[in-house]
Amino acid sequence: MPQAPINDTVTIHQLIDDPYPIYRRFRQETPVVHVKAVGRTMLTKAAHTRAVKDNPGLFSSDDPGTPQTLAFRTRTMMRKDGEEHMCERMAMAPALSPKNLKQIWVPGYEVLTEKYLDALPRGEVVDLFSLLAGPISGRKVADFCGLTQVSDDDMQRWCQTLIDAAGNFGWFQDLFDKADKVNDEVDAAVAQSIVRLQGADDQSALATMINAENPIPLSQIQANLKLAISGGVNESRDSMLTTIFGLLTNPDQLEEVKRTNGWGGAFEEAVRWVAPIQVSSRRVTEDTEIGGIDIPKDEVVMTVQASSNHDEELFDEPEKFNAFRRPNPHQSFGSGPHHCFGTHLARMTVGKTMLPLIFERFPNMQLVDPDTVKWTGFGFRGPLSMPVRLQ
Amino acid sequence: MTKIAFVTAGGSKTEVPAQDGDSLMQVALEHGIEEITAECGGAMMCSTCHVYIDDAWFAKVGAAPEEELDLLGFASCEVRDNSRLSCQVKVSSELDGMVVHLPESQV
Repeated sequence: MPQAPINDTVTIHQLIDDPYPIYRRFRQETPVVHVKAVGRTMLTKAAHTRAVKDNPGLFSSDDPGTPQTLAFRTRTMMRKDGEEHMCERMAMAPALSPKNLKQIWVPGYEVLTEKYLDALPRGEVVDLFSLLAGPISGRKVADFCGLTQVSDDDMQRWCQTLIDAAGNFGWFQDLFDKADKVNDEVDAAVAQSIVRLQGADDQSALATMINAENPIPLSQIQANLKLAISGGVNESRDSMLTTIFGLLTNPDQLEEVKRTNGWGGAFEEAVRWVAPIQVSSRRVTEDTEIGGIDIPKDEVVMTVQASSNHDEELFDEPEKFNAFRRPNPHQSFGSGPHHCFGTHLARMTVGKTMLPLIFERFPNMQLVDPDTVKWTGFGFRGPLSMPVRLQ
Repeated sequence: MTKIAFVTAGGSKTEVPAQDGDSLMQVALEHGIEEITAECGGAMMCSTCHVYIDDAWFAKVGAAPEEELDLLGFASCEVRDNSRLSCQVKVSSELDGMVVHLPESQV
């Protein structure tokens, strides 16, 4: 069978600026394609990305070439398979049980939302990115982790720095140096919290992990919290802003969402439309084929869920925001054993709590100018600002 | 071959052939039953393949074990006594003709 065609024209900057037209072309012409600029074979069709994620035996998460290991100073559970992965994931899972979600995290987030909305200035242009979505997402994750003493700003900076280093395929030393410093800060905060949480009746991720009958090693506890930070802050922020943007630029949909209480559907559509985490990687454990293309053992394939979410075979007019798209089989939370750990928390907090509350509080909220909202990012993607007028 | 009937909340029924040993979730995905989202693909992470086993068949399938019941706490529709995650129910010839009811939504 043929090898994957090689694309040497697309640049990393084009992918950062606007990958969607590129992915559309790939889906039509070369759905399995080796992209030189990222040094990976990209999978751009929904059926392929889903099949890869659902078959962890053939497509391993253990990628020895990932910059994430250096960025987090350890191999995290995201890069492990089977029992090893499950053991570390399950150590944190009780913190996000349905009971804790309903009794602790969602009610807590309702209180936070009211507080952050109260603090927004009226009658002027407000950037929801820096004054609402970023800080409240930092706060949510800090509280969930058990790092209650950490500021919103530090949480956001930690998330960004860890992400930048984990996706540092250019292997720039300065990004690892910055991450190193953040690792020190996180580890210090964890040590501080442990003193408070040891033996305490507390449902945070850290308390759950340290107070377990057979705790996992401290290095993995720290790694799990760094994953929660890097996978929870920016992604909550971006999904929130993207939903708000989608609804404000489609006022008819907004009215219908209000009338039908369709906030959950609007949130799902936003994460389909612009997936906060756009790509993932898997290492192939045996020679195989995908879509009629030979994929040799040890090749690392990149599943482009951002592209799968716009696959014309599954979605009509995928480039349009449609809060009433049903069904909406997007892959933004991934699938298989590494299905996003924070999925339920995100759906309940951003989707079902923040959205109705902000539109209830500011029914006449207006985007200053949709054209000034700039979107950016290849691995992670979202808007850089969201200036609105609040009345 | 074993046959399974999926019935939507609106009442429309689709009967499909099912391979013994496959999970109900796999059967649904193979036959394009859109009401089964099955986001995690059977890894017991997501609770988006929730179904209601028809009363006449429930005794054969049995109730959800504890771990599954915990996860059902994430289901978006009401969890009832006959609720199961379809990824955890294995097809066998014993279940030939079984009727499975689909909830209104999965997320």
